[in-house]
Amino acid sequence: MPDTTIVKTIFLKADAETVWEFLTDKDKLGQWFHPADADLSAGSDYVLKGKADDGSTVRKCWGSVLEAKRRETLVYTFTIEPLGGALTTVTWLLQEVQGGTRLMLQHEGIEAAAGDMALPLLMALDAGWDAHLGRLRDYGK
Amino acid sequence: MNVGPQGAFRALGDPTRRSILMLLSSQDMSIREVASQFEVTRGAIQKHLSVLEQGELISVRTVGRERINHLELSAIKAVSEWLGYFDQYWDKRLTSLKQAIENEKEEK
Repeated sequence: MPDTTIVKTIFLKADAETVWEFLTDKDKLGQWFHPADADLSAGSDYVLKGKADDGSTVRKCWGSVLEAKRRETLVYTFTIEPLGGALTTVTWLLQEVQGGTRLMLQHEGIEAAAGDMALPLLMALDAGWDAHLGRLRDYGK
Repeated sequence: MNVGPQGAFRALGDPTRRSILMLLSSQDMSIREVASQFEVTRGAIQKHLSVLEQGELISVRTVGRERINHLELSAIKAVSEWLGYFDQYWDKRLTSLKQAIENEKEEK
């Protein structure tokens, strides 16, 4: 069984408080992810909204905040439209280090969520996906 | 009729249709065979199948008097591609986060 947890770590030149705000503040989330309806806080549901192709406002990601330990740990369930509501778990770990903050992202449960027939089908059939990937590749250059 | 990805989304937005896809993943079936698995009318199943066909999730061929529904296997991708999807998804997000934080620092 392959490990299906995605783990990524980045270093940010900002203190943990600033990073925390970017992860949880409804407006700051909009600067790099999608704007939220409300600040993320433990025990509450969240919805991040964006624009659909036709310009209407749609929910892009949603779930519930399971744990919110300021400047340290943020855990929420997470799904996106193509996952059809199947929930995965996203964990953010913050660690202040010399000159900034190390931020680790863990995304678990993707395989279980993808066990739903709808998922691979949706992925395969979302023609926008290829374009999306293309943009990502450009991004990496 | 080409309804594009929105058609596929719409097709998958219904639990009965998702169940039909599950059934068809094991074998091709006629409308009658599909309908026998559900407690709804054959007409209702037929409608679901046309939505699936419009969403290009299934194809339909005629054999004798029957219309055989076939799951488009080419549409099915491995879980690993989902991992790849999220891998790239987060790379993009984290890059944006880094930029957003660094931009804010410059403004201060």
